[in-house]
Amino acid sequence: VHILVVEDELKMAKALQEGLEADEYAVSVAHTGEEGFYLAQSGPFDMMILDVMLPGRDGFEILAALRQRGMTTPVLLLTSRDTLEDRVHGLDLGADDYLVKPFAFPELLARLRALLRRGKADAAQPLRVADLEVNVALRAVTRGGELLELTAREFDLLHYLVVNHGRVVSREMLAREIWKEVARQTPLDNVIDTQMVRLRRKIDGQFEKKLLQTVRGVGFILREEQS
Amino acid sequence: VIWFRPTQLRVRLTLWYMSVLAGLLILAGGGTFAVLFWQLRSQLDHFAIQEIETLEGLLYFTPQGGLQMHEDYHNHPESKDVIDRFVEVLSPEGSILYRNERLGDRILGAAPFVSEGVGGYSVRSERLADGTRVRVVSRLHSLEGRPILIRLGHTEEPLWSRLDEMLLGSIFVLPVVLALAGFAGYGLVRRALGPIEQMARRAKEITPQRLHDRLPNDDTDDELGQLARVFNETLARLEQAFEQLRRFTSDASHELRTPLAAIRSVGEVGLQKDGTRSEYRDIIGSMLEEVNRLTSLVDNLLTISRADAGSLQLELVQIPVMQLAREAAALFEVLVEEKALTLVLSGDGSATIRGDRLFLRQAFMNVLHNAVKYSPVGGTIQVRVQRSGDEVAVEIEDNGPGVPPEDRTKIFDRFYRVDKARWRESGGAGLGLAITKWVVEAHRGEISLEGGSRQGCLFRVKLPAGE
Repeated sequence: VHILVVEDELKMAKALQEGLEADEYAVSVAHTGEEGFYLAQSGPFDMMILDVMLPGRDGFEILAALRQRGMTTPVLLLTSRDTLEDRVHGLDLGADDYLVKPFAFPELLARLRALLRRGKADAAQPLRVADLEVNVALRAVTRGGELLELTAREFDLLHYLVVNHGRVVSREMLAREIWKEVARQTPLDNVIDTQMVRLRRKIDGQFEKKLLQTVRGVGFILREEQS
Repeated sequence: VIWFRPTQLRVRLTLWYMSVLAGLLILAGGGTFAVLFWQLRSQLDHFAIQEIETLEGLLYFTPQGGLQMHEDYHNHPESKDVIDRFVEVLSPEGSILYRNERLGDRILGAAPFVSEGVGGYSVRSERLADGTRVRVVSRLHSLEGRPILIRLGHTEEPLWSRLDEMLLGSIFVLPVVLALAGFAGYGLVRRALGPIEQMARRAKEITPQRLHDRLPNDDTDDELGQLARVFNETLARLEQAFEQLRRFTSDASHELRTPLAAIRSVGEVGLQKDGTRSEYRDIIGSMLEEVNRLTSLVDNLLTISRADAGSLQLELVQIPVMQLAREAAALFEVLVEEKALTLVLSGDGSATIRGDRLFLRQAFMNVLHNAVKYSPVGGTIQVRVQRSGDEVAVEIEDNGPGVPPEDRTKIFDRFYRVDKARWRESGGAGLGLAITKWVVEAHRGEISLEGGSRQGCLFRVKLPAGE
């Protein structure tokens, strides 16, 4: 999967490139709008990450010009301005998603996956991590064959973690996906942390192999191997 | 606008004043003269009528059939020259019977008109062939059985020349009077506008740095005093707003500094020594935690600055209050359980308000989060929804440590925290309640903090009821 990143800020561009490459994407970086416009036209990309605030031609302009020329590659806009008008403007111009800086990197990865998946049927996810198994139809969770009793919210939370196993999920992602909370300022961090403590108690408490880990400063990860 | 071109207004006012005065003078002068002229003329007519009566007695027919007038009643022959009347006597058919010396052979009016002088006196103005304006009175008289038409004329010229003199005089006097009045008026306007200029000068010196200055003349009761007072009140509000802004900016900088300092120290200390992989992870994680704190702080600051700028749009819908409260409470369910709190929702389940769901939800969540945060383990939080008239009151009461009465209004101030030390562990930025207050007030409601019935806090939110 080849991603074009158009970002003028060097540190940010480098971080994006390294982060995406670590997630096994092929990445091309453009540091100006013109360069990005040229690259976008010259090669087929599966995805484009476009900063809005660029010197010269800004992201909105480039997006509009590309869409006018019939480019259909999914575009994710990055911006530090998050007024509703900006958002609407970007989506009107043909952006597929919109992420406000500063964002959590796992969040960006999740959005990219969602965009790449779009239109394709979800591959049946093996809802199993090590000896933890989630049965969605029955809303039942077992570990090592032993049935765990989870509340509805704990089940949703675990389900989300299992689907995204091996990847870090941020508190923001959880707030949005599990608690359906859209506002960024909502004081949910305490709630999420407490909920995690309880979930961990249930799925890891009596087992030697701990699956649910906290990644300090970023979020949580569910995975088999310890790091 | 006034103070940017003071002379213009002064000149405009003076000119206006002068033209009004000129108009009035012309009107008054013209009117006076017209009345005078009319009175003099009617006096003239009056004497002419008297004289006709005298004339009737002086006329006689000579034996030859001519008409003559006795003129031998003058004791002094020169008196004859004083008489300036014109006399003409005609037969009813129009033939001239007599003209006096003074008239000579000029015509005093043309042929008699129908009913001229019949049964009274016909009075009118005529003009002689030489242009002399005369006032003519006619009377049909019977002399020795024969009807004669007596016409008596007096010149109006002195009257008209009086008018000319007056007009001429006015042409010279009026400009002088106007000029004097203009000077006086200009002086007056200048005096009247003086305080405005003074105020303008002072107002010009008022800058954001010198907002404590006030305009002079605000102690009088006249219009200027009122103007100055209104201006000063505006200044006072501005000063307050500026002060608030200044404090806000400085507070915000302080708040930003705290996580920045932590990031810096953690990073620098981390680099000082070689650590293991997991130590570095810990260091970066710790820095990221501060970054998250910064992010949420900046998000809140943005919300507040948008609220201040009035650029936040409320999307108004009907909202059942109880449902909103229940939703907010449900989010904190796990915290409530963890602290073994009892959360009781009670009151009017049908009460609705018209408002923005997202903002109101956030407002309730902020207050409720506060209650959850400060409640002791095993405590009780009560949420009561009541509708009274066109108002919905939501009370959120906890039995935590509460807030001392003197701090209860300040708690809605930005960055205000009752307990500075406790804040960092609980993770607020001191903006939640400020935002809540803004949301409530944007919905034309009010929020207050009272002492609860037990210890604790009692937040009361009043909002206008929906339909």
